[in-house]
Amino acid sequence: MTEKSLKGLQLDRIVKRYKGDTVLNGISLSVDSGSTLVLFGPSGAGKTVLLRTIAGVIEPDSGQVSINGQDMSGVDPEDRGVGMAFQNFALFPHMSAYKNIASSIEVKERSASRLDAAVRSVAELLKIDQVLDHAPRALSNGQKQRTALARALVGSPSLLLLDDPLRNVDAKLRFEMRIELPALLAQQGTTVVYVTQDYKEAMALGDTIVVMTEGNIQQTGTPAEIYLSPATIDIAKQFGDPVINLFDVTPQRDNKGQYISLSNSRIYLENGIADLTNGEYVLGIRPQALRFSSASDEESIAATVEAVTPLNEKTVTLLLTAGGRELLLSRPAGLDDPEQGPVHVSFDPSAIHLFEKDSGKRVELINTKTEAVA
Amino acid sequence: MSTSQLQLHRVDKIYGVASTGVHAVKDLSMQVNAGEIVALLGSSGCGKTSTLRMIAGFEEVSSGSIEINGTPIHQLPPVRRNVAMAFEGYSLYPPLTVRDNIAFALKSAKLAKSEIASRVAHVAQLLEIENILDRYPVSISGGQQQRASLGRALIRDADLHLLDEPMGQLEPQLRAVLRARIKHFIKERGLTAILVTHDQTEANALGDRIAVMEAGLLQQYDTAAHLKNSPANLFTGTFIGEPPMNVFAASVELHDNSVHLLLAEAVTLVYASSEFDPRVLERIAGVKKLMLGIRPYAVRRAASGVVATVVANQWLGDQTHISTSFAGSNLVIVEHDRVRLNKGDEISVAIAADDLHLFDSETWVALSHGRNVA
Amino acid sequence: MLETSPLETFLRGVAILLVILFFMFPIFWIVLMSFQTNETILRIPPSFIFEPTFDNYRALITGKLETNAASLDIAFMRNMGNSVLLSVGAVLLALILGVPAAYSFARHKTRFSEDIAFTLLSFRFAPPLLVLLPLTIYFQKLGLSDTYFGLIWVYQLICLPLILWIVRGYFEDISEDVEYAYRIGGHSWFETFRKIAVPLAGPGIAAAGLLAFIFAWNNFIFALVLASADKQPVTVGALAFVTASGIQYGQIAAAIVLSITPTLLLAVYAQKYLVEGLSLGAVKG
Repeated sequence: MTEKSLKGLQLDRIVKRYKGDTVLNGISLSVDSGSTLVLFGPSGAGKTVLLRTIAGVIEPDSGQVSINGQDMSGVDPEDRGVGMAFQNFALFPHMSAYKNIASSIEVKERSASRLDAAVRSVAELLKIDQVLDHAPRALSNGQKQRTALARALVGSPSLLLLDDPLRNVDAKLRFEMRIELPALLAQQGTTVVYVTQDYKEAMALGDTIVVMTEGNIQQTGTPAEIYLSPATIDIAKQFGDPVINLFDVTPQRDNKGQYISLSNSRIYLENGIADLTNGEYVLGIRPQALRFSSASDEESIAATVEAVTPLNEKTVTLLLTAGGRELLLSRPAGLDDPEQGPVHVSFDPSAIHLFEKDSGKRVELINTKTEAVA
Repeated sequence: MSTSQLQLHRVDKIYGVASTGVHAVKDLSMQVNAGEIVALLGSSGCGKTSTLRMIAGFEEVSSGSIEINGTPIHQLPPVRRNVAMAFEGYSLYPPLTVRDNIAFALKSAKLAKSEIASRVAHVAQLLEIENILDRYPVSISGGQQQRASLGRALIRDADLHLLDEPMGQLEPQLRAVLRARIKHFIKERGLTAILVTHDQTEANALGDRIAVMEAGLLQQYDTAAHLKNSPANLFTGTFIGEPPMNVFAASVELHDNSVHLLLAEAVTLVYASSEFDPRVLERIAGVKKLMLGIRPYAVRRAASGVVATVVANQWLGDQTHISTSFAGSNLVIVEHDRVRLNKGDEISVAIAADDLHLFDSETWVALSHGRNVA
Repeated sequence: MLETSPLETFLRGVAILLVILFFMFPIFWIVLMSFQTNETILRIPPSFIFEPTFDNYRALITGKLETNAASLDIAFMRNMGNSVLLSVGAVLLALILGVPAAYSFARHKTRFSEDIAFTLLSFRFAPPLLVLLPLTIYFQKLGLSDTYFGLIWVYQLICLPLILWIVRGYFEDISEDVEYAYRIGGHSWFETFRKIAVPLAGPGIAAAGLLAFIFAWNNFIFALVLASADKQPVTVGALAFVTASGIQYGQIAAAIVLSITPTLLLAVYAQKYLVEGLSLGAVKG
């Protein structure tokens, strides 16, 4: 096998415009055969258009799609050998669940018994074998979603496109499917492109995550790379619930080096990085990196509790600092959290993120440390 | 400042003819105390929206009564009930700017101009809509419209504030902070509020008490902590909690000094009898088949214990969801740290007696929570 | 929403009754006329009391009209046959041409597709007489005047825009994803059109066809100008009762009753589809 044939999907400078709006602005990416790539971004980022371009139902204005090393230019969607599941399920309302699933292979598979066996085995895998003769309107939301997945999976396509398939099911089902999906996909060994707006889904399912905004790729990386080193402010805001705390800061310099002052503490930046003094920057601290500390801790920030709101086994506290800034602090539930009144919080300086204010781009920091102001 | 108490007494709602119609709300009695935030939580069709619409006066009650501060209001037209409402579909007045939409009710209440201006400014700051106050509803996003609609409801002095799915369309990054701010605002002004939602995160974050509804029936009406720790039945137990509660069919064997819970595939959990209130043992002795519920956060990885095999390990940045194959079913474990486990790894898990929830498998009624009888 | 008083209920009933009377009275009166002789019809003052007669219907069905003055041949049954042939033919042709065109307008938006679709609709705005004069001359040159085919062709002016616009709305209502899903499943676009789009737009196509049928059936002017006696539909045929010796009100009434019966039955049968179809697919079934 050559290096190239290992790519299940390759996109080369895909451009798509609608009425002068650039929806895809030269997207290039590749997915290793058998791995899962997540396209993540807010609505309007171009994820769905990109997915449809790969499927061949939308033609790009320029650029090239290759599936398993083969150029797909001019190849009709029915001849690309891909499977696709849609956000709104897109089941055929006038066909039973069985026929819906069978429709994906009825053209290729001439043997009725093999077709039947394929439909039944995928239905069993997805636990819908009991409802195969139901019409879509007689299925529950979860069953509809599983039928749509079964229809995409049944032909064992080498490339599977999933367009936010868990968007329209309730939280419980979404969680169950999120846990189940990786095993299911691994079993099929297909290359997967998965579109979602939910960062948890992206992190849970992606070998690689591609973050898109307005037709451009912002960052490509593993879930850990994206979460721990977000390339822009926007990405830092999109990954994490509750959202990361952000403050405008202007680094200063004293005889010990460059520092950022926050309340009554100074966060010293390692000398290895460029001179940031007097520039406009944004400091980010994730809510779970903050912790309550005692008033005697000189580096701590004084604040008052505004509201306490539980969030999935975490407790999120909204604080107002003495300087009038809002801070969100998140801790595992069940700990002894203050409900109201004055508190002090501190954080590990290595957990901070720094971004340029204008461009939103990340500034890499090394070995930050905090000191109290004398 | 207004504080009012709401009382629903044996309220029924039947759409259509009594015998054939849809029984949307069944014999609902509940009280909302002055200054309390209550969340009506349930999936679509559970009767929560019908209940809210009956309180607001957009639907008649089929039988029963609704009182505010002891005065029956269910015969009054909506305008005379003195309730403020934020609608799921926003319902902003298209010809008015966001500012005028928010101030609308205050203007008809003949408040001083300066008072109106300062209130609008405050609410706009709270909801981060200061920069769109002079725009018209059509020109702003769905999330912004929803925030404007929330502002229009929150700004009023009403006996009761009704919020119908107030945050469903909000930008994900704003949710945590807006929830906290809105809670602070409502508490600070001592408003009485009822919130209808299908999202338990929202209900948990805002509600002092949560009314869980299903199939028109009130399943449980309690604080978030009680719903989590002492669910009244299996429905509430599995509905509340994200990720959902792990459930296993089990049978009980009582020995001299120990309690054996027998699960599928010969998995047995053994506890000392002394770990339970004697009444728990009495109660479960007669029940042959029961359902065992375990919260994902309660499962601990231990040096010794029962063996489970890892099926999926998903790190979400601030917590890790581990799905394991256990007793012929799935056992989901959640930890707050990043856990490095691979598919196929065998781990030992321990489940403390404190974290067992036992339900009758026929009636779904809770039998015990931890050491105590339900 | 809240309780309505008995008075309100009563007033509402009266209002509804008035509306029904206003719309239904002409039909009611015509049905009464069809069972009367010319003499009783022309009585002054008119009366609801008369001795019903089936003479009018007998005359229409047998094709012989006996008057005091003379015996007259009438071709009413032939006219009925023409009406059926022309309307059914026109609707079928319009469906064959219009449904694929509607699909194309709904799914493959090109630069001029909106203009072309509107131009087709605008045929409905122009007074028919405007087109008729030049058409008569062309038809004579082409040998199409006084042929069924020529008439069916002209009827497309009525049927085609109707079908195109109604069915297009239905096609637009079908989620594109549903069609994409079928194509990705290995089917050609034509298979997708046949197996997915057409069945899903079925109610709309039926409604449009029905409506087109009614409009075609009720057409008067095209056939009056372009067809001779033996190709004329009932609408034109009814003119035969305006004779030199007087107007045969009874027979006209009976002819009207007979000629509206098929469309009325169809309309009642398919009321639900019709209302949906008229809202251009905006209301989903």
